[in-house]
Amino acid sequence: MPWYLYLALKQLFPTGRKFPFFTLISVLGVTLGVWLLVVVTSVMGGFGYEIRRMIVETEGEIQIKARGLIADSRETLTKIDAVPGVAGSTPYVGGVLMVQYQNKPAFPAMRGVDLATVEKVTRLDRFVRVGSLDALDDDSVILSAGLATTLGAYVGDTVEVYTPLMLERIKNNEVILPRGLRVVGLLEIGHQQLDSSTLYCTVRTAQDLYGLGEGVHGIDVRVKPGSNEDEIAARLNAVLPRDVRAYSWMDSFSDFLWVLALEKSMITIMLLVIVVVAAFSVMSSLLISVVRKTREIGLIGALGGQPRHVAACFCAQGLFIGVLGTILGLIAGFLTLAVRNDIVRGVARITQREEVLQRFYQFSQLPAHTAPGDIALIVSLTVAISLLAGLLPAWRAARLKPVEALRSE
Amino acid sequence: MSDATASAPAVLTARGLAKTFPSGDRRIDVLRGVDLDVHAGESVSIRGESGSGKSTLLHLLAGLDTPDRGTLAWAGSPDTGASRRAAFLGIVFQSFYLIPELDGRENVLMARRMLGAVGAAEKARAQELLARVGLADRMTHLPSQLSGGERQRVAVARALMNAPQLLLADEPTGNLDERTGDAVIDLLLGLCAETRTALVLVTHNAAHAAKTQRALVLHDGLMR
Repeated sequence: MPWYLYLALKQLFPTGRKFPFFTLISVLGVTLGVWLLVVVTSVMGGFGYEIRRMIVETEGEIQIKARGLIADSRETLTKIDAVPGVAGSTPYVGGVLMVQYQNKPAFPAMRGVDLATVEKVTRLDRFVRVGSLDALDDDSVILSAGLATTLGAYVGDTVEVYTPLMLERIKNNEVILPRGLRVVGLLEIGHQQLDSSTLYCTVRTAQDLYGLGEGVHGIDVRVKPGSNEDEIAARLNAVLPRDVRAYSWMDSFSDFLWVLALEKSMITIMLLVIVVVAAFSVMSSLLISVVRKTREIGLIGALGGQPRHVAACFCAQGLFIGVLGTILGLIAGFLTLAVRNDIVRGVARITQREEVLQRFYQFSQLPAHTAPGDIALIVSLTVAISLLAGLLPAWRAARLKPVEALRSE
Repeated sequence: MSDATASAPAVLTARGLAKTFPSGDRRIDVLRGVDLDVHAGESVSIRGESGSGKSTLLHLLAGLDTPDRGTLAWAGSPDTGASRRAAFLGIVFQSFYLIPELDGRENVLMARRMLGAVGAAEKARAQELLARVGLADRMTHLPSQLSGGERQRVAVARALMNAPQLLLADEPTGNLDERTGDAVIDLLLGLCAETRTALVLVTHNAAHAAKTQRALVLHDGLMR
């Protein structure tokens, strides 16, 4: 090991001493910054990742929507499935219903799915907690867990469903009767909004309730693994009629994703300030060290040390502090992420706000997704800032002439 | 000077070294043309009053400062740069200048680290040198755990670590009591004679100067 790196290590970790206070404080400052950066970027990334997962697993990577109805859904599905990169497609009918069970009303979102094709696109079966997707037929429904709780309905019960179409019949003074549908399953996706009030039925039931005939509101598309959603959406738009358009999930939720990305960027920048403050602390300590060790710097020159090596010695100290602080910060960050839900549950339990937390943040678990790119950015920026913190002291040290340094008091 | 040392090649050759320092509006001629030849294995002392320029001369001879006039050569070569200094000469200072974070052995090895990697042979030599200066059982002590005399002995071992051709000592007993100072001077002279290392000793002490082969006096910026 070159002498300047050896001396830099020895000045940070002197022989016979456990952990010098200066080194401890400097490393802790960097550790704190990296720790917070890892936790916050991962949690912010987790929100985006969970939203993507939720969209893709319930609606596919591409959503096809018409200005009105897609009347000839079979012909459109044939065109879609023929496009290279498309793994599958499934039509859906969406809307709002009124559901009543034992005089308890609710107004859930309805999703009519095509049982023959839905498994090619979505993973609804994975979210069914009670009952089964296979049990769903034209006379039954699957309720989201929150909706079932609101209504007090369970698997085997029959709920009464009212549709907006019935309003027209009321205007004509017709007697309306609700449609009775049996509950065959309870579903929990993990997103508070979807889990609180959604009803799944077959596409035929939904068409019947809304009086759509053979028409559907849209088509969800799954792409083959490794395919680019935007490219395939462009290919689909080339073969679809002008009033039927394909949107990738990122296009469909672009505003929301942009807000998430902006929030993440702003928080990352603000937290980087902690690392910069820590770097100023390191710089200040190293500058004091240069003044305190003036005679030693003179001695190094007298022993044959080159000014550039003296500079490297102080630069290396900034680098070592940065690297050690980054490693400890990464460890602390990943440990915190591993127990994040325990921490959140603990805080919520102490403050007795568990339900509020779930309602406000949409997710039943605090999501976290650590992108390798984020970690690479945090590590490179922190190490670079720490290295820069050592530059000014290094420059000061290198400028000292040995003979003047030896004469200094 | 004995005939043997006089016929030995010159390790140090200084010709007309001059150095001036500013002092307010004036300039003080500290050195006004110093000539000096030191041969291999020779010990030379330089005495002088405080402020006579002894330390300035030593810094010039060590290549730590540049003269305003005159020339300097180490073993006939004018290269007196930092990269050559580590191998060519050793320096002992009045204030020891040990690195406080390193123990005695690591301080001695620091001189070798300047030249490159340190292996088992170098570690053994550092231990041997520390044993020679009487610190066999103190080599893992930090400077703060050593007495003044012990610190200076570590500094002597460090100066000799790279087997230099020339050893410069700048009032090495200045911070030591008389008895310890005598012991350090005897050690320096003994080791230099043993290894045929040329020694230039700057000192106030006439008794110490008398122990060297050649005693010079710096007065009014000139060597006598």
